[in-house]
Amino acid sequence: MAECGEIGMMLGAFEDSELEPNEMQEVAFHLARCESCAAVLADYSTLGRDLRSIAAEPSLAGFSSAVIARVDRLPQPVLARLARFLRRQADAVGSGFAWGGAVAAVAVVTIILMTPYAEQFANRGPHSTTSIANTGQEASAGANQVAQAAASEPTMADNDSHADISRLESENHSVAVWSEPRRDTTVIWLPDQP
Amino acid sequence: MERYQRRVVGVALAVVHNQDDAIELAQETFIRAFENLAKFESRSSFSTWLYRIAANLAIDFWRREGRHVVLHGEDAENEIGKMPTSQGDSFKEVSRSELSARLKQALEELTPEHRAVILLREVEGMSYDEISDVLQCPRGTVMSRLHYARTHLRNILKDVSGS
Repeated sequence: MAECGEIGMMLGAFEDSELEPNEMQEVAFHLARCESCAAVLADYSTLGRDLRSIAAEPSLAGFSSAVIARVDRLPQPVLARLARFLRRQADAVGSGFAWGGAVAAVAVVTIILMTPYAEQFANRGPHSTTSIANTGQEASAGANQVAQAAASEPTMADNDSHADISRLESENHSVAVWSEPRRDTTVIWLPDQP
Repeated sequence: MERYQRRVVGVALAVVHNQDDAIELAQETFIRAFENLAKFESRSSFSTWLYRIAANLAIDFWRREGRHVVLHGEDAENEIGKMPTSQGDSFKEVSRSELSARLKQALEELTPEHRAVILLREVEGMSYDEISDVLQCPRGTVMSRLHYARTHLRNILKDVSGS
């Protein structure tokens, strides 16, 4: 058949669907009436399948790590090394600032949280004086004790010239008030409410 | 890297037809790409650029190794005319193992350019335009190389089936 040579050049591209539409049509018409070209086309198709079947599938385990290792061994240009050095320094300074900021923040929070306790702790001691007792019998007992203490406080008053009893309720002995200006403390004993 | 490594190896393998060499060349491809990343221009896709590096390295490797007489241009195309045409018969009856062995041998006999074209098409499933980009040759050359490679392989396999 005269046109087999021309069509034969296009058979592979026809198999691959890489011809223009009009060429695809032309080859298809030819194949419909040419057994030899149809056989060649069938062989091309078989050849493709055979090539795929024998294609080796290489093992790529460790491929990436091998490439990365080789990249790491590459000599680096001076500018790149300088840039990396500067970047590391910047990272180090940045992390220093970050740690410093974190420590400062923790310190501030700690101070804020601990300040009341610290004040209380500072005010405690052998002569703890800031309290309000309002607990039933303890209050009246406490008031009596305070009254007695106030009366018999000469130890503190004697030892501490700034401490003085500012007021002692004589009409109601269950209520006692005294102040200690030096410690900026006022102590009030209240009776139970009936 | 995982995204491209299999096909990069496939491109190299299509040219050199040796797994160890192909893997070595694929690694070299990624290193070259890493070194020349700044030179990458977006005129083609990154994958095409990568496969092109792989193909060039593989073809250079093949030529450096001197394992094959490379035919270029008209020399290669003239080879088609020297081949016996054995249209009409099918090689279906050839035993699979014999066919597989002969096919591998026949691939070895092809030039790296012809082997690359047919393997990139048949195994890697690249379009003619992709092959043209990767191998940096005109689409018409891709078509003619494919035709040559197919005719060559088919004739060899016909001989096997004939014997």
